[in-house]
Amino acid sequence: MAQTGGIELANLTKRFGDTLAIDSVSMTVPPGTYCCLLGPSGCGKTTLLRMIAGHDEPTAGDVRIDGQSVLGLPPAERGTAMMFQSYALFPHLTCLDNVAFNLKVRGVAKAARRKQAHEMLDRVQMDGFADRVPAELSGGQQQRIALARSLITNPKVLLLDEPLSALDEFLRLQMRGNLRQMQNEFGITFVHVTHTQMEAIAVADLVVVMDHGQIDQADRARAVYDTPRTTYVARFIGGQNVLSGKVVAVENGAAILDDARGNRFTVPTGDTAPGTGETRYLSIRRDRIEMEKLADPSAARDGTVNSVVGKVWMTEYQGTWVKVNITLPDGEEFVANIDDGRFFANPVHEGDMVLARWPAESVHPLEHRESSFDTSRGGMHT
Amino acid sequence: MAQHRKRPWTFYVLATFFALFVLFLYGPMLAIYILSFQGPTGGLTFPMNGVSLHWFQALFEQQRTGDFSGSFSRSILLAFLVMICTVTFSVMAGLAFRRRFFGASAIFYMAVASLVMPGLFLSLGIGLIFRVIDMPTNWFSSALGAQLTWSLPFGLLIMFAVLSRFDRSYEEAARDLGATNRQTLQYVVLPILFPGLIAVALFGFTLSYDEFPRTLLTVGPGNTLPLEIYAMTTTVTSPALYALGTVTTVVSFAAIILSLGSIAIIQWRRGGRFRK
Amino acid sequence: MKVPSSVVPYIQVAPLALVLLVFFGIPLVTVVVVSFFDYVNFQTVPAFMFYNYEEVFSSGLTVTLYLTMLKYSVIVWLITLIVGFTVSYFLVFHVRSLLWKIFFFLVCTVPFWTSNIIRMISWIPVLGRNGLVNQTLMGLGLIDEPLDFLLFSDFSVIVAYVHLFTLFMVVTLFNSMARIDPAILEAAVDAGASRWQVITQVVIPLTKTGIALGSIFVVTLVMGDFFVVKIMSGGQSSSAVYAMWNEIAMLQYPSAAASAVILLLVVVLMAAAILRVVDVRKELSG
Repeated sequence: MAQTGGIELANLTKRFGDTLAIDSVSMTVPPGTYCCLLGPSGCGKTTLLRMIAGHDEPTAGDVRIDGQSVLGLPPAERGTAMMFQSYALFPHLTCLDNVAFNLKVRGVAKAARRKQAHEMLDRVQMDGFADRVPAELSGGQQQRIALARSLITNPKVLLLDEPLSALDEFLRLQMRGNLRQMQNEFGITFVHVTHTQMEAIAVADLVVVMDHGQIDQADRARAVYDTPRTTYVARFIGGQNVLSGKVVAVENGAAILDDARGNRFTVPTGDTAPGTGETRYLSIRRDRIEMEKLADPSAARDGTVNSVVGKVWMTEYQGTWVKVNITLPDGEEFVANIDDGRFFANPVHEGDMVLARWPAESVHPLEHRESSFDTSRGGMHT
Repeated sequence: MAQHRKRPWTFYVLATFFALFVLFLYGPMLAIYILSFQGPTGGLTFPMNGVSLHWFQALFEQQRTGDFSGSFSRSILLAFLVMICTVTFSVMAGLAFRRRFFGASAIFYMAVASLVMPGLFLSLGIGLIFRVIDMPTNWFSSALGAQLTWSLPFGLLIMFAVLSRFDRSYEEAARDLGATNRQTLQYVVLPILFPGLIAVALFGFTLSYDEFPRTLLTVGPGNTLPLEIYAMTTTVTSPALYALGTVTTVVSFAAIILSLGSIAIIQWRRGGRFRK
Repeated sequence: MKVPSSVVPYIQVAPLALVLLVFFGIPLVTVVVVSFFDYVNFQTVPAFMFYNYEEVFSSGLTVTLYLTMLKYSVIVWLITLIVGFTVSYFLVFHVRSLLWKIFFFLVCTVPFWTSNIIRMISWIPVLGRNGLVNQTLMGLGLIDEPLDFLLFSDFSVIVAYVHLFTLFMVVTLFNSMARIDPAILEAAVDAGASRWQVITQVVIPLTKTGIALGSIFVVTLVMGDFFVVKIMSGGQSSSAVYAMWNEIAMLQYPSAAASAVILLLVVVLMAAAILRVVDVRKELSG
């Protein structure tokens, strides 16, 4: 069976008055994909979702589902179904009537719609709750009912607006797996909006990182984490140290950079060799850092390339690793995640001066992007 | 969840104050309900000279106490009319006010002004207009309009309060599930708002049923009950007056219990906590 | 049938707006216009003159009436404010169970849905010469003669007003106070505030809106009162509205209209004065 539910956005733009919420976004979601729209609040991800659903109309551009433009169509005729952040379960109807709502408004006879609704409730393992009202259910149960209510419309695309934000930590992890499993089972496209990096990376085939109404990177989860395209993505997804420096030379496909602190880094140049004096940005995953205590901090640097010197201001034990926060001389923060065995074999303490270095092949070049995203807030702690 | 912390002494002082306030609120009313069962020879004050339904019977003897049955049925009918108009118009207007539209604040201020306008001012104005256009005033025309200027602002304000707690995603969800605008209204919006509509209905009914100054110059040839009672305060000096008060209040209480009771049942069935 | 969605609000608001326009807007204008009319032998004659106003202002009776009403307003406002504040404070901050809170709140509001006239006359058997209060006091041997000032006096007028209008203060203050996060009060206590300081420094500033709205209700209701003064004072005092009613009864419509306009101006000015102190709109939107 050829899968359906492919989404294409072409130069999609949305203005609210003077504010540009979505700035000419184009992207493709292949059929049957679990796609996460990820970004800080206000980045436009929910607006994008609502335009696909038909609850907001774009100012310009096109939304196509399976090649057909759905602009101007009412939500129910787009082949999409939306699950709301609050679930929006009708408080005056039982679970069964909630799930059967779509059939009722389409004029399906009572007996037939009850039968179908029971079947759907059964598929989400909620048939035992058919006669309860939403207020009697836990958050996780409400979510299943919301899911059943959306799926009964046989959508090609399920749109989920922050589906896990109303749940507590434990349920969030459980329902996350549940959503992924449902997506596999139904084989339809899921578009899931979230501001939690871990959530996106854990469930999605395709992670779309957004900021300021634009897409910064749309890629497989691993790629977004391991090889972020821009400084913004690297900082927002987290797990990376972002550094920059001015190019002093180019050798063997790598640029040599000097930063203002007197450190020297190398970074692969890729296709275009930079000119001397240009600023280049790079990232190194926190778990690729090696660290040693400096016996004599005042001793001159031995000229080690790809390293920084700083003072440890905090260590946090994380179970399988230790997060070491290092303050560089200009106040910038640098983080090394050291495997717990290695750390305790050679521990450092708060106040120690350390040298942190990394192999040249762990360096990943970045494009520079200004962002409103506050680095102190975010990032996964890996 | 109940924490059995020791209550501060102020609690007992305030609780006593509250109890006295409730006594102040209901005590006198209770007195006239009791006195309305006064024996045939009893007077306007305690002690009771026996217990009887004498003064209730007297109500129906037209020559002694005025037109009780006529004004009573007129009042009830008018109250139902006002109730229906208040619910319909306030709900429609409440829904309209969720969007910005030209003239919205002018209409809002007109409603508020109508609320604080001295009743007789309005009565006079409407009476004058009906004289100018040479139309007789009547309870189902001029008095109905006059009472609506009092009940509609209340209805509108209640709708504002009700709709401010109404999550718009219910409507979007309904539309997402294929409901038309009419179906969304019929199956989702109105049922969810239903407890609020009952509250509006209660206000519509009771505000009309007890209305006095606005009705005074607009009611035309037949009196409403409050006008009848007012007339009686100057002419009737027997417990029949209290009997009328008791009958009136029974109707009010029936309306209150019916509406508050159904709101409570609906909220209980929805399993939500009681919200005010 | 397809209605453009931009037209929908106008259709929805039309019935309410039309009723208010026809039965509030136009009558308002009519009264103002007629207040400048002349009247001859019970006939109203279109004109433009200030005679009706001159007549109202030149009458010493008007001044007395308004002073009396003003006196009642201030006294009733003070009492209802204190009583309403105390009751709301008790309900919001001392009653712990939500169900009891709602029940007690309803107990306070139920009289609103019953007849004002009945509630007013219910004081007659209580305060009268042979009323409950006098009987009780004499029975206890506290007095030998019945107290005469209880009924048909300033005292009974104020009692009736307080009885009728306190619930407006209770409702508005209750709503304001219920919005205060109890943690704020605990924080104030933690910071060393006494019970009294918590009230004056925290609760009162946060309930300003409710106080203002309740005050507007009480003041406009007393000023616009028609029958309480007349009946409860036993005919000794009269209200501004009652004076107007007398003019209407004598078919002196222009004169009554002038009185009505003046009354309205007084009420609006008083409400505006209260709103100057507290910006209700700003706080309502929150």
